[in-house]
Amino acid sequence: MKRPKTFINRVLHRHETYLTLIIILFSVVTANVAPAFLTAGNILSLLRGGAGLGLLSLAFFVALISGGIDISFPAIAISAQYITVRTMLAIDVNSLVFAFVLASAIGIVYGLINAFLITRFKLPALIVTLGTSNLYHGGLLQFLGTESVNVGGLPTAFSDFGRMSLFQISTEQGTLGISLFFVIFVIAIVLTWFILRHTMLGRGIYAIGGDEEAARRAGFNVSRIQYFIYAYVGFLSAIMGIIHVSMIQYANPTNIVGTILLRVIAAVILGGTSISGGRGTVTGTLLGFVLIVLIDRHLIMLGVPAEWTDFFVGIVIVLGVLATHIRLRLERKRLGELVVERAH
Amino acid sequence: MAEALLEVRNISKAYIGVQALDDFSITICEGEVHCLVGENGSGKSTLIKSISGAVQPDAGEIVIDGTSYGTSITAIDAIRQGIEVIYQDLSLFPNLTVAENISLTGFIEEGKRLTNWKRVREIAVQTLSQLEEEIDVELPLDRLSMAQRQIVAISRALTKGARLIIMDEPTTAITAEDVARLFNVVRRLNARGVSMLFVSHKLDEVFQIADTVTVVRDGKKVGDYDAKSLDETELTYLMTGEMLEYKPFEFDPEGEGARSLLEARGLSRENQYEGIDLAIHAGEVVGLTGLVGSGRTELALSLFGMTLPDSGEILFEGTPVKMRGPEDAKRLGISYLPEDRHGQGLFEDQTIADNIVITVVDRMKRFFGIIDNNKRVDTWRSWIEKLKIKTPSALHAVSTLSGGNQQRVVLAKWLAPEPKVFLIDGPTIGVDVLSKARIHDVIQDLARAGMGVLLISDEVSEIMQVCSRALIMRRGRLVAEFRNLRSIDEAEIQAVVAEPDTSEEAS
Repeated sequence: MKRPKTFINRVLHRHETYLTLIIILFSVVTANVAPAFLTAGNILSLLRGGAGLGLLSLAFFVALISGGIDISFPAIAISAQYITVRTMLAIDVNSLVFAFVLASAIGIVYGLINAFLITRFKLPALIVTLGTSNLYHGGLLQFLGTESVNVGGLPTAFSDFGRMSLFQISTEQGTLGISLFFVIFVIAIVLTWFILRHTMLGRGIYAIGGDEEAARRAGFNVSRIQYFIYAYVGFLSAIMGIIHVSMIQYANPTNIVGTILLRVIAAVILGGTSISGGRGTVTGTLLGFVLIVLIDRHLIMLGVPAEWTDFFVGIVIVLGVLATHIRLRLERKRLGELVVERAH
Repeated sequence: MAEALLEVRNISKAYIGVQALDDFSITICEGEVHCLVGENGSGKSTLIKSISGAVQPDAGEIVIDGTSYGTSITAIDAIRQGIEVIYQDLSLFPNLTVAENISLTGFIEEGKRLTNWKRVREIAVQTLSQLEEEIDVELPLDRLSMAQRQIVAISRALTKGARLIIMDEPTTAITAEDVARLFNVVRRLNARGVSMLFVSHKLDEVFQIADTVTVVRDGKKVGDYDAKSLDETELTYLMTGEMLEYKPFEFDPEGEGARSLLEARGLSRENQYEGIDLAIHAGEVVGLTGLVGSGRTELALSLFGMTLPDSGEILFEGTPVKMRGPEDAKRLGISYLPEDRHGQGLFEDQTIADNIVITVVDRMKRFFGIIDNNKRVDTWRSWIEKLKIKTPSALHAVSTLSGGNQQRVVLAKWLAPEPKVFLIDGPTIGVDVLSKARIHDVIQDLARAGMGVLLISDEVSEIMQVCSRALIMRRGRLVAEFRNLRSIDEAEIQAVVAEPDTSEEAS
C-alpha cells in the first residue's frame, strides 16, 4: 500500500524545485541574450540592491505564516528611516549604531501598536495595518514635513555604511566586494529560519496560522506570539529603511511607499506561502524573491522596454498562483484516489 | 469496584434563562469506559466544559482522586490531574506534521523555548506504537483521514499523561469502518488503565463500547446503568422520555398493484458500479447500504442524472429515459437528498423559507420572471407545518436551527417539487434519536402517500427500522436483497455488508 518515498520523489513534489528550475531557465536565457548578466559586478550589485526587498519579504512572510498580514511595512520603513535621519541632523549625531538603534526602536514600537490593535480588539490584521499604514505615513508627512535630505545634508555615517563591503578586490571596473547590506540580509535569513524552525515561538507562529483556537487550547500564548510577529515585521522594516537611505544617499519621506508593497507580496506568494496562513518556507520565500528581483532588473537586458516590467511581473504572479493552485489540486486528487483504493 | 477517578457531585449551571445542568452527578472509575448519552441540548457539553474547567458551575463540586476542587477547577488543574478533553473539532493543526501535533503541547507545558526535532519524532512514534497504530509521523496532518486524526488527538492526550480521556461525539464525522478502528484504540487504551468518557447519541455504538452508561435529559440525570443490562429501546426511552416504536414498513413489490416508478437494468459505470438491476415501486421504501466506496452513492448520482452510466438503461414509469443532468431528473419527478448536508444541501446563511422554496422558484414565475410571492409564502408555510420544523420564524437563517431541524429543512427543500421518486442519502447523519425517529416517520408517511423512496444509509439498523426491503452493495455490485426485515437479524445483514473486505483489509 505504501508508496516508496524516495528522495527524488519528494524533491519533485516540492514547490521550491519548480521555482529553482524557473530561475535557472530565466538566468540561462538572460545570460545568453545579455552576457553582462553573469559578470561578477552585476551579481554583486544584485545582492546589494536586492537586500532591502529581501528583508521586507522575510517580514511579510512571517506575518503571513501566522495567518495574519502586515501591509504597513513600507510606511514603517520610511518612517523609521526619515525620523532617524531628521533626529540625527537635529541633535547633530553621526553614528551608524545610533541610527540602527533608533530606527529599530521606532519600527518595533510601530509593530507593537499594530499587534495591540489586532490582539486587544480582535480586529482583522489587513484592516488594522491598512489603517496604521496611512496613520504612520500621514503622521510622518504631517509632523516632520515633506522636505527631502540630499547627499550633502545626510550624516556621513550612511554613505560610509553604503560603501562597506567584505572581501574587497580591485578590478579595472572598480572595487568589488560583498556589500554589508547583503551580509545583514543573510543574518536576517538565518535568524528568521532559526526562529521559525527551531524555537517554540516559531512553531507557535505556524500553529496559529493552522488553527488559532487550537493553538490557544494547546497552551500557546497567542497574543504574545502576535506581539512578537508584528514587532519583528517592524524591526526588519526599520533595518530596511536604514539600508535604503544608505544605498541611495537620499532621504525623502515619500520614498518606499509605492510599488515595493506589490513586489514583496508577489515574492512571498510566488514562494508558495499560503495567503490563508500556516504554510510556507523561508527557502520558498527566498526563491520567490530572487525571481522577482531577476524579472524586475533584467527584463530590460532581454530587450523588454522598462514600462513593460509591471505587466510582466503581473503575468508571473498570475501564472505562479495558478501553477500552485493546479499542483495542489492534482495532489489532492491523487490523495482522493488513494482513499478510494483503500476502501475497495 | 475500582477507585473513583473523577466524581462530579450535584453540579448545576444556568445560562441566561436556561438551566443547562440541574443537580447532576457522575462518577468515573479507573479503567472504565463510561458513556454519557443524551439528546442534543441535554447538557452534555456543559458537563464536559465544567469538568475541563472551561465553564464554572453555579453549584456542586468536582472531586478528583478524592480531592475536592469545589466549583472552581481550572483548565490547568484538570490537565495536571490527567483529564484530557478531545473536542469534536479535535483542535489539531492541519498544517503541521503528525509528530508535531502529538508532541508540541508537551513541549509547551515543560516551558521549552527550543524545539528538539529528534525528541518530537521519538515521542510521536513511541505514543503511536502504544496504540499499535502505524501513521507516518512526517506527514502533514491534513493528509490524514478523519479517523487517523482522531488517533493523533488521542496520542497527544496520552503524551500529557492522560488518565481520563473525554471524547465529545467522536463518531459523528467518521464512517462505520473508522468507528470500529477507533473503538479498537479505545479498548487498547482501556487495557492500559486509561479511563474514557464517551459522549454520544448513537446508541448502537454505546452498546459496542461502554461498561457504564449515564443518561442525561434536560440537564437532569436520569440514572447510571450497566451497559449489559440495557437494550436500545429502553435506552431510547430513558433518553427521550418517549416510547419510540420501530415499525418496519410493509410492502410487497410483487403484489398486485405494485407499480414500478424507477428502474435500472444492467446499469454500469466504470470503476463505480456494475450490472445493477433494481426497481423502486410507488409506495415503497427501499433501503440501500454498503461500505463507503461500495458504489452506493455513485449509483444514486446516476439515478439522479448527475453522472451518466456507461451502459444499461434507466426506466421511469416503464419507459426508458436518458437523463443528461439533474434538470432532466427533476422534470421527471425525481428528487435527491445529498449525503453531505452542509456541502450540498443547504445555504446555511439564508432563511429557512428561501431554502425550502429554492427548488421550486422557477415554477412560481409570473410574467417577466417575477416571482409570485403568495405562492412562495404558501409553499414554505405548508412544508414547515407538514414537517414540524421548530423555529420562531421562517425568516431566521438555517444556521440557527438544531441539527434535526436543519435536516427537516433539507427534506422540505427536496419535497417541495413534489417528486414521485425520492433518493435519500444519509438523512439522519448527526441527528439525535428523537429527531431521527421523526424523520423516519416522515419518510414512511411519504411512501404511504404513494411516493417511491430509496434510502441510502451507513447504518443497517436504520434501514431495518424504516424500509420494506434492503439491498446490499459491495464493490460496485448488488450482492444481496433482504425482504421481511422484521424476521431477519441485524447481524446477518451486517455480515453481508462487511464480508470480503474485512478479510482482505487484514492481510
